[in-house]
Amino acid sequence: MTLNFPHFFAVALFREDGTTLGTVPVHRDWEPAHEWTRFHHQRRGELSLEENGVASVLPLWEHTLGEPYCRGYRIRIAQPGQRPVQSDFPSTQFREFASAVASVFVEDKKLREGERYTYVVVAHPAPPEAPKSGGLSVSNASPCVPVQAASLQDYLARATPIGIVDCEDMPVFVARQVLAEVEERTHAEEGIETGGVLIGMLWRDEGVGDIFGEVTAQIPAEHTSGSNVKLTFTPQTWAAADSALRLRNRGEIYLGYWHSHPVRAWCKSKACTPEQQRACHLAKDFFSADDEAVMRAAFPRAYSIAIVANDTAFTDLTFSMFGNREGITQPRGFYVLEGSTSGT
Amino acid sequence: MGKPEATLEIPLEISDISGQKVFSVSNAPTGNTVGELVHEMLGKMSLPRNDASGAPLTYQARLEREGRHLNASERIGDALEYGDKLTLQPNIDAGLLRF
Repeated sequence: MTLNFPHFFAVALFREDGTTLGTVPVHRDWEPAHEWTRFHHQRRGELSLEENGVASVLPLWEHTLGEPYCRGYRIRIAQPGQRPVQSDFPSTQFREFASAVASVFVEDKKLREGERYTYVVVAHPAPPEAPKSGGLSVSNASPCVPVQAASLQDYLARATPIGIVDCEDMPVFVARQVLAEVEERTHAEEGIETGGVLIGMLWRDEGVGDIFGEVTAQIPAEHTSGSNVKLTFTPQTWAAADSALRLRNRGEIYLGYWHSHPVRAWCKSKACTPEQQRACHLAKDFFSADDEAVMRAAFPRAYSIAIVANDTAFTDLTFSMFGNREGITQPRGFYVLEGSTSGT
Repeated sequence: MGKPEATLEIPLEISDISGQKVFSVSNAPTGNTVGELVHEMLGKMSLPRNDASGAPLTYQARLEREGRHLNASERIGDALEYGDKLTLQPNIDAGLLRF
């Protein structure tokens, strides 16, 4: 689903004394925010589960300075015959892009290394697009979000929360057996990154008015190559997972992926002390830019999640979950589900 | 319907790995290559072209009918039939690559 941009966005950087460094057109990935907006409103029953409705990225003008200065941006999704739905995002989401621009200014010697700067986001009306001739004629044939009816309370009654469960996140239940298998695979490949694909179901509780997810199984990733810092998923990996999913034939869908972080191996290679290991930000709730890139390429829907198995030297294996919250991949809580799952 | 001997364009269905992003193409030129098709569809489907470091990602198109990955150099007219379904599958790394 292509996003419309009635305005083009740019970032203007300034030195601490207020002098201008330059203005650069924004190049960023808007899709995670778009996906989150769509699913956020679908969860609330405000947007159809069908993949329709044109989405636009609109500027939110600064309250005091006004146009062209932005305090953020808005994703608006039109609904034929109904009011549009929309979600707002702050200009802090441009921080990473501004930082990249600042790095270029440092290379160009416009800015000194370590020198402080500020940035503002601006937006200007985009010129009308000339009609394109030729090229592929494409229409969106994506299926509806595949939800079935179930009781959230029934699941909560036999689940244990892990981590900080944010009430705004879609509740996710992971079968204990899945985590046991992840742990077994991680220990079997100790020191090397390993992983798999997560499959399961999406449920809607009409009484509560929300959608929740259930991870019923993990499919070990085959045809991969792994080292202590990298796990490569190949086209053959995805094909094999697809075959396994079809063989199960239980109406399950892809919900994301898991992989291990052999933190103990990382720490050993850096000769970290036990105190350093306990305080290291890599030990838990760490999700690299490359980990995010796998989510983006393979599991772009906002209901998708990733599990990381943290294998450290100072504690038993822990699990971290990550998901799309307001357009940004963030650590999140989840529930471990006891007993049989819908996949068995 | 079999091989499009004299057809200049054929309809295809392209999906991502998850199967939740599916796009119908009504006019895939039979003279184009699979690689050209994949390249254009990545943009239409809002799939990333590059990894986290900015290096280009390699996607292979898997043909559901034959259960094989197509070569980028294969011609659409030679490899594909009317209404074929393809899945775009990347070669991609997870991990702590900048350690």
